[in-house]
Order: sequence, then C-alpha cells, then structure tokens
Amino acid sequence: MQQLNNIFELNNISKVYERKIAISSLSLTIKKGELVALIGPSGAGKTTLLNILANVLKSESGQLLISGVLSDKYNSGKKLAKKIGIIRQQFDLVGQLPVVHNVLAGRLVEWGFLKSLLSLIFPQEKELAKKALDRVGLLDKIYEKTSNLSGGEQQRVAMARLLVQKPEVILADEPVSALDPARAEDILSMLTKLVREENETLITVLHSVEYAKKYFDRIIAMREGKVYFDLPAEKVTDKLLSDLYDLKELN
Amino acid sequence: MKKKILLPKLKYKFNFVNFSILIAIVLIIASWMFIYKVDKADFGGLFTEKNAFYAKKFLKGMFGIGEETPAFKDAESWKNVLKLTYETLQMSVMAAGFASIGMLLTVIPAARNVAEGKLTLSKKWYNWILFGFIRVIYIFSRSVPELVWAMIIIFIFKPGIFPGALALAIHNFGIIGKLCAEVIEDTDLRPIRNLASCGASSGQILIYGVMPAVMPKFLTYILYRWEVIIRTTIVVGFVGAGGLGMDFKLAMSYFKYSEVTLILICYLFLVALADIVSEGARKLSS
Amino acid sequence: MNKISHSFDIHKKTILTLLLILAFIWSLFSVNWGPELVHTGGKATLAQIFESLFHPQLSSEIINLALIATWRTLSYAVAGMTLAIIIAILFGVLASGVLAKSELSRRFSKGVFRGILGFMRAIHELIWAWLFVASIGLTPYAAIFALAIPYGGILGRIFADIINDVPKEPIEALYSAGASRIQLLFYGYLPMAASDMISYTMYRFECAVRSSTVMSFVGLGGIGFQIQLALQDLNYNQVWTYMFFLIILVVLIDLWSNILRKRLVE
Repeated sequence: MQQLNNIFELNNISKVYERKIAISSLSLTIKKGELVALIGPSGAGKTTLLNILANVLKSESGQLLISGVLSDKYNSGKKLAKKIGIIRQQFDLVGQLPVVHNVLAGRLVEWGFLKSLLSLIFPQEKELAKKALDRVGLLDKIYEKTSNLSGGEQQRVAMARLLVQKPEVILADEPVSALDPARAEDILSMLTKLVREENETLITVLHSVEYAKKYFDRIIAMREGKVYFDLPAEKVTDKLLSDLYDLKELN
Repeated sequence: MKKKILLPKLKYKFNFVNFSILIAIVLIIASWMFIYKVDKADFGGLFTEKNAFYAKKFLKGMFGIGEETPAFKDAESWKNVLKLTYETLQMSVMAAGFASIGMLLTVIPAARNVAEGKLTLSKKWYNWILFGFIRVIYIFSRSVPELVWAMIIIFIFKPGIFPGALALAIHNFGIIGKLCAEVIEDTDLRPIRNLASCGASSGQILIYGVMPAVMPKFLTYILYRWEVIIRTTIVVGFVGAGGLGMDFKLAMSYFKYSEVTLILICYLFLVALADIVSEGARKLSS
Repeated sequence: MNKISHSFDIHKKTILTLLLILAFIWSLFSVNWGPELVHTGGKATLAQIFESLFHPQLSSEIINLALIATWRTLSYAVAGMTLAIIIAILFGVLASGVLAKSELSRRFSKGVFRGILGFMRAIHELIWAWLFVASIGLTPYAAIFALAIPYGGILGRIFADIINDVPKEPIEALYSAGASRIQLLFYGYLPMAASDMISYTMYRFECAVRSSTVMSFVGLGGIGFQIQLALQDLNYNQVWTYMFFLIILVVLIDLWSNILRKRLVE
C-alpha cells in the first residue's frame, strides 16, 4: 500500500561519465504530491539525477521504481509521457509553429498520426488548448508564432503544454535560469500553483536557494554525486547552505 | 621531405592552404601550357582577317543589318518565340517540381542525424545503408551536368518539354537533396527531445518538430534552384528538349542571327523575371 | 482589417507553398501524358543503359582516352577560371564602389558595374560558347572565354559583396593614418576579403568543371565530347566509363574545396 504512494523510489543508483562519478549509490524516495527542489553546486549531479528520473539516462547500477514499477518496464515513450512531463529552459518549443500547436503537442501521446497531421491545419481539441492558455494568461497569443514570444511567455506556453499533457510528475531542469528575477518568480509561483491545483508532483533543479525555500516543500541538496542533506524547506538553515557551497579546493 | 625529417629542429608543419595554392598555380600553368602546346591554340590566330570577317558578319546579323525584316521586328516571329518562352517557363517549373518531389521523398534518411537515430529517436539497423545509398545517388546525379543527362534521356523519350524537365530535375535533385539534408542536420534537437518526452511517435516528431523547422529553408533552396534552372532550360533545349533552346539551335544552324537576338531578348527577360519572382517569394517565406 | 492581415501573416508560408504547388500542377499541363511520350523501344533502351551502368568498358585504350579527355576538360575549366578571377577582381572592386571618391561616383560605379556583372552571368556559358564559336571559330579560346564571362560575372558580384562586408574599423584606422584609396584596397579590403574570396572561388571551381564538360556540345573537346561520341555509337558501356571519370573528377574537386574551405575558416 505504501508503495503506491511513492512516485519515485531510488535504490543505490550510480552513474559514471567517462571515469568521473556523477552519482554514487544514491537512495531516495519521493512521495506523490511533493514539491521538491534539487540544489547544490554545479557538477553535483543534479541534472544527471533528473535525467535518470526522466528515464532519459540509464543508471549503471541500482534500481529505479516509478510508481512501484521498475523503470525498464517503461519501454514505450507513450507510457512514460503519461507519467512524466518535462520542462527545461525555453528552447524546448518548436519556434516556427504557432503557440496553439505547441500546446496541443501535449496531446500527441493520445493522437494517431493522421489526427496530428490534420491538427496542423485545423487545430483539434482547441478548447483544451484555450483553457490551458487561459490558465497561464496567454489566451490572446494563441495564434502567435512561438519564437516571437518572450522567454517568460515561452515558459508559460511550455506549462500550458504540460497542463494538456497531464502527467503525474513534472520534472523541471532550471526552468527559470534564462529569465530575469521578476519573470523568474512569476514563472515559479505559477508553476507551483498549477502543480498544487492539479495534485501533481514537481521536482525542480534550481540554482537559487532563495526560490527553493520560498516555493518548495522539500529541499534535496546534492554535492559530489551524493545527497548532502534532505530536509523540509523550513528546516534548511544558512549554516547548512554555506557548508554546501563551501569550496573544498581552498583547504 | 626527407630533409625535413633529418632536421628535427626545423618543425615541418603541413599547411593545407599553402599546399592548395601551390597545386592551384601548378594547375594553372599546366592548363595554359596544354592548351597552347597540345591543342595548338594560337592566341594571335584569333585576330586574323578571316575571323574578323566572320565576327563582323555575325554581329551585323544579330542586329539585323542587311535583313529586310529582322526577326525582332516581325510579329510572327515574336508570337512564335513568346510561345516558346511560355513553354520554357513551364519546363523550368516542372523541373523544379520533380526535383523537389524527389528530394522530399529521400531527404530524411539522407541526413546524418537521422541515420544516427538522434532526430527521430529511433535506431534501425538499415538507417546507415539507406543513408549511404541515397548520398551516393545524390553525388551521382549532381556530378553529371544537365545537358549530359538530357543527351541520354533523349534516347528514351521523344523530344519535347518532358525529357528536358526530367534532365534538369535529375541534376538538381542531387544538389537540392544535399543542401536540404544539411538543413535537417542543423536542426535544433532540444524541441525534438521535448516532443519525445510528450510521448510523440517518430512520425509525429517529424511533422511537429522537424518539418516546421526545415520547411522555410527548403522553400528558399527550391526557389534559388529554380532561378538556376531557368537559366539552364535553354541549354537542354539544344539536344531536342523543346523550348527556347531548340529554336536557338535551329536559328544558329541556319544563320538566322536576328532570330538569335530575339530569342536572347526573351531569355534575358525570363531570367530577370525569375530573379524578381523568386526574391519576392523568399521574402514572403521568411 | 488588422485581424485579416494578422491571419495572412500566420498563413503566408502555407499560401506560398500552395501557390508553388499550383504552379507545378500548371506546368504539368504542358505535356501530353501518354505512351507517345516514349520512343518505340524506349523501355528496352532504358534497360540497356541501366544494365551497362554495371559493365563500364575498362580496356586500357578507353581509359587512356578518358584520362586525356578528363585532363582537357579540367584544363579548360582552370584556364577559364583564371580569366574569370581576373575579371572578377577588376569588376568586383569597381562594383563594390570602394575606389570612388564621392558619394555620386560611388553610386555610379556600383550601378554600372553591377549591371555589367548581372548581364554577364544572366546568359548561360553554353550560349556564350556558341556565340564565340560563331564569331572566332572552333578554338579552345571559345570555351575559355565562354567560361570566363559568366563565371567572372558570378564571382565579381560575390567579390563585391564580400568587399562591402569587410569590417569598417580597420579601414577607418588606415584611412586616418593617411592611406590613399588604392592603398586602402591593397592593405585593407583585399587582405581581409581574401579568404572568403578564395573559399567562394573554390566552390565555383567545381561548377566550372561541369560547365567545361558541356562545352563539347558546340564541338569543343574533352570528356563531354567523348560521352557524346559514345552515345552516337550507342556504346553505353563506354558512356558510363566516361561518366565515371567525370564523376570522380567532380568528387575529387569537391573534396579538395571542402577541406580547403574548412581550413580557411579556422
């Protein structure tokens, strides 16, 4: 019963890149509905971990359970897409297409080839796209060419796509690193709000500790491929953080 | 070379650019020597009285001097040549169309990132074989000039617009295929990976991720090749592929030089028209 | 109104594509589609041509002939390109307008020489060849001049563009150091434009070889001439032998120019 509540279970996961250890025997559990921020100095293995969770990378050893099922069992992209949605920096959208198609791309998992082809000329299930765009406040840009939008707006389009895709977990890889502070807060508060409303799980790699404490429930700090601390957001102290970012090389 | 090895202090660095310049100079000298010595092409011989006479006669003929009604003042000739101009235009469009269809059918497996499975995110063992096969066909078809293709095709098809268009299409298919395959190779992979994470199949990735990104550039290349094709349509006409070229050849063989002038006027008009249309269309597509 | 122009903006690519497809369909009406299109026995000929693709004639006699013909084609192309480069540098510099003293003379020189270059390249090299053969007779110079004119036109246009695109700061620095316009050309514009100019010339060289092949059509020698003779004898095996020589030549030059261009960028 308890397993059903765990969306991710990692047991002794390790990953090596060309003799450099990216992640060394890491064990973690992430429950349904949690909002997790992954922080730590660059090169700590945050993005590697996220890619392993996304099933894009395979770990060398250890096992990963997604909703209690071994990750190897998710061999089709369609099955995985219903479980996991991904949002990265703003370069994830097809810039040449109008916004509406980029949002409806979240439905590709359900659509056959012919329906997707038809949709490029006559957008299918347009109401769905409209609703999603309305929620991110971009309804008026529905037919705009995506590359004409600003970075923040593009991230909102990416969120609208996730609303249409309706995955159980959203993995975000530094979703606000290319944005200015005001825009970044805007996107993060919207993302966390939507995830709460949809009762989804969110795991985000973040550079900013401040944002992590402000918007997330749980903070996992990584250093040199290991979990440095794993605490509820309110229990993270400045002492812990300064230790985390302390440069060892100086000693 | 040997000396350089014996003197290790003098670091010998092979410089491809200097080496190429050396080859180019050798080639230039050898070519001119060959033309002068073996082909006995005497430069002074160009300026004999006989040549001057022919050149004068030819130029006079082109301006219609000494002719009662030069072709470019004759309504009947105009009508005939304008009809041929129209046909030539059709031939060029058909050729560009055939080349584009051929390209669209083959270009996806001809891109290196597709063969590697990076673009559609599906690896198949036959991808590399298909890639090599199509690339060899591209090289083959573009290395042979359109006129040579026309000479061969005319053995199979009767003279007319179609064999000309086909010859032009075969040559340009290779060029356009190579250019467009390179466009696909330059596609940004990030949106593609994200589409895959939305659960898109390789077919869906193709129409949502790849096509929108490459189509504008494909159109640009197709229009640019059409400009080149229209210049060349006259040439395939020489071997009996219809259009202005066929008439040009006849006019030359019957020494009807004023008709040559008329044909060249229409030809230049067509080339200028193609320049304007294709530039306008390219602006529209950008 | 705004909405209409907006929706035109979104769909203009689709409209353009549709227009192009319509143009293609229109062009198809120029042909009477049917069995009359093919010569009687055309299919058999096609099969024969295709079959001989795999059996090119490789006797030493033919290979010798092919080698000489290939070299002749190459040498005409090289000679034509030599003249084309000279023409292109002269006209290209004039068409770039960097030598002009006043704004007015700059515009004049740009307009006139760009026009001349445009005319030179508008006419296909084979037409030039024919015009030359008609006026100076059947000599290799007809082929060389015929190549030099359109290629001079293309190269000249591009050279002018390259010279115009040269970064302005070093030029201004030279100018304030008291360099004359000719000195600016030799110490500023040309050295900075050289690698791009060589790069583009190499790219065109490959095309020149193909054009040189086609010169055979007006009666000038080379690999194209051999292909034509073999075709007249219906000796398809020989045709392919010569074709393979041509393809190898083009591929080798393509390879050379690709490597050189990559090195020049570095």
